[in-house]
Amino acid sequence: MRHGKLRFVAGALAPALVLHALFVLSPYAQAFYLSLTDWTGVAGGAHFVGLGNYARLGEDALFLDALRNNAVMLIVVPTVTIAIGLFLASVLHLGGRRGLDGVRGTAFYKVVYFFPQLLSLAIVAVLWQFVYNPTNGLLNGSLRGIGLGGLAHSWLAEPHLALAAVMAVIVWSSVGFYMVLFSAAMDAIPRELYEAALIDGAGAWATFRKVTLPLVRDNVRVAFVYLGIAALDGFAIVQIMTVGPGGPDGATEVIGLSLYRNAFTYGKFGYASAMGVTLFFLTLAVALLALRGRRTERLEIA
Amino acid sequence: MVQIPTTKYGTPRRAVLGAALAGVAAPALVGCVTSGGDSGNGTATGAKTAENPLGVVPDAPLEVVVFKGGYGDDYAKNAEAQYAQKYPKAKIDHKGIQRVGEALQPRFVADTPPDVVDNSGAGRLDLPTLAAASKLSDLTELLDAPAWDNSAAKVRDTLLPGVIEDGTLAGKVVTLNLTYTVWGLWYSRPLFDKHGWAYPKNWTEMLALCDQIKRAGIAPWTYQGKYPEYLNDPLLTMAAKTGGTDLLKAVDNLEPNAWKSDALIGAASAIAELAGKGYIMPGSEALSHTESQAAWCQGKAAFIPCGSWLESEQKGVVPAGFDMVMGTVPALTAGDKMAGTAVQAASSESYLVPAKAKNSAGGLEYLRILFSKASAKAFAEANATLPAIAGATDGLTLTSGLSSVRDAVAGAGKEAFSFRFRSWYAPLAKAVDDATGELANKRITPQAWAERIQKAADAVAKDSSVTKYQR
Amino acid sequence: MRRVSLHGVMVAWAIVTAFPLVWALMSSVKSDAEILASPWSPPSSIRLENWARAWNAADIGRYFLNSLIVVGGALVLTMALGSLVAYTLARYEFPGNRLVYYTFVASMFFPVFLALVPLFFIVQKMGLLGTYPGLILVYTAYAMPFTVFFLHSFFRTLPSAVAEAAFLDGCSHLRVFARVMLPMARSGLVSVGIFNFLGLWNQYLLPLVLNPDPDRYVLAQGLAALSVSQGYRSDWSGLFAGLVIAMLPVLFAYVAFQRHLRAGLTAGAVR
Repeated sequence: MRHGKLRFVAGALAPALVLHALFVLSPYAQAFYLSLTDWTGVAGGAHFVGLGNYARLGEDALFLDALRNNAVMLIVVPTVTIAIGLFLASVLHLGGRRGLDGVRGTAFYKVVYFFPQLLSLAIVAVLWQFVYNPTNGLLNGSLRGIGLGGLAHSWLAEPHLALAAVMAVIVWSSVGFYMVLFSAAMDAIPRELYEAALIDGAGAWATFRKVTLPLVRDNVRVAFVYLGIAALDGFAIVQIMTVGPGGPDGATEVIGLSLYRNAFTYGKFGYASAMGVTLFFLTLAVALLALRGRRTERLEIA
Repeated sequence: MVQIPTTKYGTPRRAVLGAALAGVAAPALVGCVTSGGDSGNGTATGAKTAENPLGVVPDAPLEVVVFKGGYGDDYAKNAEAQYAQKYPKAKIDHKGIQRVGEALQPRFVADTPPDVVDNSGAGRLDLPTLAAASKLSDLTELLDAPAWDNSAAKVRDTLLPGVIEDGTLAGKVVTLNLTYTVWGLWYSRPLFDKHGWAYPKNWTEMLALCDQIKRAGIAPWTYQGKYPEYLNDPLLTMAAKTGGTDLLKAVDNLEPNAWKSDALIGAASAIAELAGKGYIMPGSEALSHTESQAAWCQGKAAFIPCGSWLESEQKGVVPAGFDMVMGTVPALTAGDKMAGTAVQAASSESYLVPAKAKNSAGGLEYLRILFSKASAKAFAEANATLPAIAGATDGLTLTSGLSSVRDAVAGAGKEAFSFRFRSWYAPLAKAVDDATGELANKRITPQAWAERIQKAADAVAKDSSVTKYQR
Repeated sequence: MRRVSLHGVMVAWAIVTAFPLVWALMSSVKSDAEILASPWSPPSSIRLENWARAWNAADIGRYFLNSLIVVGGALVLTMALGSLVAYTLARYEFPGNRLVYYTFVASMFFPVFLALVPLFFIVQKMGLLGTYPGLILVYTAYAMPFTVFFLHSFFRTLPSAVAEAAFLDGCSHLRVFARVMLPMARSGLVSVGIFNFLGLWNQYLLPLVLNPDPDRYVLAQGLAALSVSQGYRSDWSGLFAGLVIAMLPVLFAYVAFQRHLRAGLTAGAVR
């Protein structure tokens, strides 16, 4: 029965591996190398500068702003998105009359909540720019409409609000997907568990903590990885939507934007590559942290 | 039996680590990008005659890449049509694109660039980087060739003052700019007439007028807050008028403490005062150029700082009878070294011929056509924009905006100046923009503004990896 | 009382998610003046000519077709190659299995900017610059890591019994894969297919560098061009019409396949 196994394996992997090595691995390998050079991005020659580019990162105030902002996003975006996603999924499942089934209109909500996921980030950013517009934007307009005009702000131009405004957009565009993901995971939880909890007189919060959460923990972890990657990126939204972009005064600068500016506007491709490599290892570290020990806690319910 | 694994592979953590190593150790096909040596430029050149002063090979194909922005690209196609008329055997490839830099950068690295490029718009190529890498042709030959529709004059003599200087980097003319941009303050003449407001001649008058405007229920100023560089223009114009040519040189040559001069701090204080007195429309700080300019067109604000492209940019949304005009930035002090009529002006829409163009003679010839008086005139008519060619607007009926721009240029005479640091040192420009944004929102003082920009300028001056230029 | 407030929250979130889309749709049939004067009010009359203008004058029609060709080709290739790789890695043990898997997975963490310029040279040297096959191959290469990652865990959760029975019946490896395992993985394939479709349809950076010829522009490039020229010509309504046109295929794809999508997620993928 083992006959032809290796041939099959080789045949199955070869085309994909060739594509991958050619179009993905080799460009990145070159980029790793370029991060050790002073290549401008247009000149033919590149001089080896060792770790000089990495040393300069530490003195680049804007890059440090970017690191700080990405760190804040890394904590806030996954936490808030997952919290809202879990809440919505729970309500869809257990918010109904008896505490055992979902609210009415579940099918409808599942479709509508997913909408933002369908849009490219560029479109999302353009739309939200109109929402945040201080003079005739939807947000300030609504606040004034309900008599809360005092809360109206110049959302993207005030340094202490701009990053929050950006994060809100990322959360908005991501919640739907994670709601669907968690909801799918909750579908797989045996109803008997909930019935038992109900009989024990457990409240909604206790049921969520004792029954739901442990059984969707794996999904939450994966969600952290995906959202962490998204939070470490943020380039498209920031570049299109924010003042400057990346402002005001670095308040919404992200690593991707610094990288882009150095590579394509300043002609410092080697330096930009060093930023990219840094970003790569940061993303990797996040993935490692979030996935740590996942195997031991894996639940075999599927 | 076929093996169907039931055990899990290693922990995902190890998975990811292993993956990282795989990524690093991947086939190191390095050197591809940076190995592009000199393979000769292979430029086709024919015999140079009076009819064909640049030695164009009649059947060599020509590739033109144009930034397709506010001016569209019809004007460029018209010039191509004339090229085709003269060289019917040449196959012309035209591309009108956006984000010229990202699209063309790899082609410059690979030494397979187009024959002529309009390097403009957001995301354009960084010229100093290209020049330092010897990727650009010297345009001297073109400048010394006879003009397309006036063989008695050389091309260099048909250009407005400053155009050749604008295109010069390290002593070499590498770009030729098609349009001539003047910066100033824009307003609606009928609106001012209706209220009996007169355009201010100096900053004291400006502040007094702003007070009047505000009492009339209109915001005196708005600006393109999302891109604070727009507000830099009036600020730097005022400073240049106060400090004169010496200040321009000090700033562009990165001299120590240039940004802390009285002229610059004075101009920054003027802008800060505007903000402090509430003369800037609330919310401006977050508006894009389109949004703030639209608000201004709707009469929500009286003044907006902008370059001379504003009229053509607003063509679609300006109400009838708005009749926008541009005024020169008022003088800040009585002791200014330049007259109040002086303007900040620079040519833009940079055309260049790559050094490794296959048909660089054709590229130069194309520019000779494009920079002819007839082409320029058609361009001015279609785009309500001043071309960089002298006399291009002669005999045309001009719109209110364009004629005010032309008057400003005439009024300034020789006192048309520009800063070069923006194109020479992009990181410094970014620092200035950020600082001005903070200044206009009252988050920093004029002194702090000057200090942080000076710090950025010093950093550039100290950075040995940046090619320095002098004026 | 509690249920009323829960309903309130659910409705509120539905409005928050749907409104910007409804608004984009609304703006696409308004006049420019209306959009600027009162961005949030309904149109005075339905101006479908905005759509026609975007489709014809802004060439959205042609870009749409280009996108369809490139994304369609890349999607078929990605699914075919990706499912093979994921299946092989998930269910066969052989030396180097892990290394191959990690090699794919790590690529999900690379910032794409870094690769752009080197990638250009590779594609150029192969003579594939600005061609449909070139774009399709590169799109496929960049969609592969996620596809493999997603389907790998999916194939691992599938029961072995059926496959073993098929092997006993003398089926070849390829046949077991194609006839037994693939059908069982259908919901996972549909899920990852949808994600790939969304990602590829909205892809912007790769075509920006690898697809320089405006005649071959894909939709994302066309929209960017429209949005840039819009910045100068203030054709807001045309821009919105273009955005909506670009949005529709993904919307239809989602609504048509959303049941499968959830089934695919339920069945244990993305773990």
